[in-house]
Amino acid sequence: MSDVHVHVRVAGEHYALPVERVLEVAELDTIAAVPGAPPEILGVRNLRGQVLPVVALAAVLGLPGGDPTRVVVVESGELHAGLRVDEVLDVEELPPRSEAVESNLLSGACMVDGELVGVLDVDAVLSSIAVR
Amino acid sequence: MTASDEEIRELVRAEAGDCLQRIEASLLALESGAGGVEEIDSILRDAHSVKGSAAMIGWEESTALAHAIEERMERGREAGSIPAELIDLLLRAADGLGRAVNGEQGVAPPLLAELTAFDAEHGGESAEASTEGEAAAPHGPVAAAPTAERSPTIRVDAAKVDRMLDAVGEAVLHHRRLEHALEAAGPGIRQASEELDLGDVLLADLQDSVVQLRTLPLSVITSPFPRAVRDLAAEQAKEASLEISGAETQLDRVILDGISETIVHLLRNAVAHGIESPEERERAGKPRLGRIELRAHQRGGMVAIEVADDGRGVAAELVSQAGEAGSLADLLATTGLSTAESVSEIAGRGVGLDAVKRSVERLGGGLEVRSEPGRGTEVTLLLPLTLALMRVLLFEWAGQAFALPMTAVGRVVAVSDTTSLGNRPAVEIEGRAVPISWLGLGAGPGEVPPRSPAVIVESLGRQMAVMCEALIGEEEVVIKSLGAILAGLDGYLGAAILGDGRIALVLDPNHLLDAPREEMALDRPADVSARSPGTVLVVDDQFSARELQRSILEVAGYRVEVARDGREALRRIGEMTELDLVVTDVQMPEMDGFELVEAIRADDVHRSLPVVLVTSLGDEASRRRGVEVGADAYVVKNEFDQEALLETIERLTAG
Repeated sequence: MSDVHVHVRVAGEHYALPVERVLEVAELDTIAAVPGAPPEILGVRNLRGQVLPVVALAAVLGLPGGDPTRVVVVESGELHAGLRVDEVLDVEELPPRSEAVESNLLSGACMVDGELVGVLDVDAVLSSIAVR
Repeated sequence: MTASDEEIRELVRAEAGDCLQRIEASLLALESGAGGVEEIDSILRDAHSVKGSAAMIGWEESTALAHAIEERMERGREAGSIPAELIDLLLRAADGLGRAVNGEQGVAPPLLAELTAFDAEHGGESAEASTEGEAAAPHGPVAAAPTAERSPTIRVDAAKVDRMLDAVGEAVLHHRRLEHALEAAGPGIRQASEELDLGDVLLADLQDSVVQLRTLPLSVITSPFPRAVRDLAAEQAKEASLEISGAETQLDRVILDGISETIVHLLRNAVAHGIESPEERERAGKPRLGRIELRAHQRGGMVAIEVADDGRGVAAELVSQAGEAGSLADLLATTGLSTAESVSEIAGRGVGLDAVKRSVERLGGGLEVRSEPGRGTEVTLLLPLTLALMRVLLFEWAGQAFALPMTAVGRVVAVSDTTSLGNRPAVEIEGRAVPISWLGLGAGPGEVPPRSPAVIVESLGRQMAVMCEALIGEEEVVIKSLGAILAGLDGYLGAAILGDGRIALVLDPNHLLDAPREEMALDRPADVSARSPGTVLVVDDQFSARELQRSILEVAGYRVEVARDGREALRRIGEMTELDLVVTDVQMPEMDGFELVEAIRADDVHRSLPVVLVTSLGDEASRRRGVEVGADAYVVKNEFDQEALLETIERLTAG
């Protein structure tokens, strides 16, 4: 497994997603709200004929605000979702995880260009919001 | 292990599964006395073919078991029959073979030992038979031609069919977008629109074929049932037979996967709670052998699967209580009552009809129960034909598109006032309060704009009103899953992607959300006192078109009556004391729109009644014919929007 990650900005903070879990990056598009779904699930959108749930990543991480412009489509087993982020900054190899993390949604953290970057555990993020 | 090895194993398992189903069916036929030598031959062929493939891969246990079954059949063929006592053992050997093929170890030795012991017990017979069996060895080639009479089939991964259906659905949407684009570009490209029309037909054909790929006959799941009923009855010292009819009825494979266990559950119930002991049956003047029927047939746009028994039925007091609970199905499902006084081991205590009801509802279906005390019980599962394609009524709410399955849509009404039913908002329809289902988006249930359309949904004997901002119309859509993340969310059958790329959520009529209880008074000054601008008769043979026009007109304040064709319209015109205008479709059975206009113009009383023709025939000839027969206006459905129709009607009724 390579250590290449997709580096994104969410509500002013920096996060990285393992590239193996990322299918594509899409523009924001019209989202149909799904009444009854958990609040962090914004709704569903049409992605080339497929129905894709879109998740407010900032809300999952408990961050206020943000200025979303992109959707990062991720998968974990049969769970698929688009994570709404402010910006996709880079696709890059990460340095060793040097910082401690407390959230169970993160697998670690490191410093990149002076910024603290949280490494997201995509499996944990998706299973934390799935409606069972 | 290479992938191709695993693929071969999968293939052998699948083939063996087919063979074993046939073996079991034939053994049961032999046991009931219905089968003869042809059944023995069929088992022989299947056992031989399983043996061949298992030996090729090196599955020793499977090979040995298949060989043992084959051997007994060879003897049976020589003798002309299989000893009745051997059949139960052979059934278990077939079960064991099934497990061995699927990788279970240690299955064969005990079964082989039993078979040998059986031979020893029935020594004389089998020794004689086995010498004859050897002599019959040259008959071998008969067994080597097993596949000749089966129709050729290909095994396809179900996910591939789903992807294909998706792609076809997309192609249909793309085609519609192309049609819109061509229309917008203006008339004159005759050849292009002819090609598009042809494409329409081809795509519909393609879509049909792919949907059929997803459907399978009920018989693919029924083969274990006769055996299950036999075993269950034997365990309880009862006598019961299962008769299956309509097994050729086609169902979506996803539905088939979902109902197999449900049917087994109902069969268990029938044996455990329905069918009485042979002695009790004799005392009641019934034959000792209890009769259970599994029937499948198409009922409207649904498939009905009925499990009926001629047993003791549901207690009389429960049947009489059923009226109060809504239906017998609801009563039995909510209270978890069973028809037998004591819950026996076999009925899976605690899991009653409520589980059956839930699993059927999850598939978009419903449950019905009928019972006659002392005579028997009949449980009906009503299931959609396919989960892939559905006719829906599309509507807008809070700027979003939603859909309801047409099978659940009762009618559309204009709501001008909400009342309250047990503290929940409701609308009054024909003097009855119907609760409002609330989507939790947009305006609150107490703030419905006057004369909003509401779709009355009928599901499982209950009515609910779903508020809309506007009706879009009726359409056949491909139902897609909301995704695994939302799989556990009640309330939706899935989503459909519309021609313009928008998503419409398809609501589950059995799980419509209730409007929240409201503390504030919902009663608002009634709006009905507003002067009605007139009474309109809407004539259309299509339910959705009729209801769409009805709602548009009711929302605008008109009183609306409807008729299904020209003949019914003429009768209604004769009966109605007040009528200001007729809006009619052109193409209808019995009497079409042109004939209706002619008939109205020929009538002394009604000759001056304004008539608007609404039709999809946009060509000049039809328009001219409309004017010739005396229609006052002609609205083409393509350009059919609320404004145009309302303006036309207002103009014609004002004079």
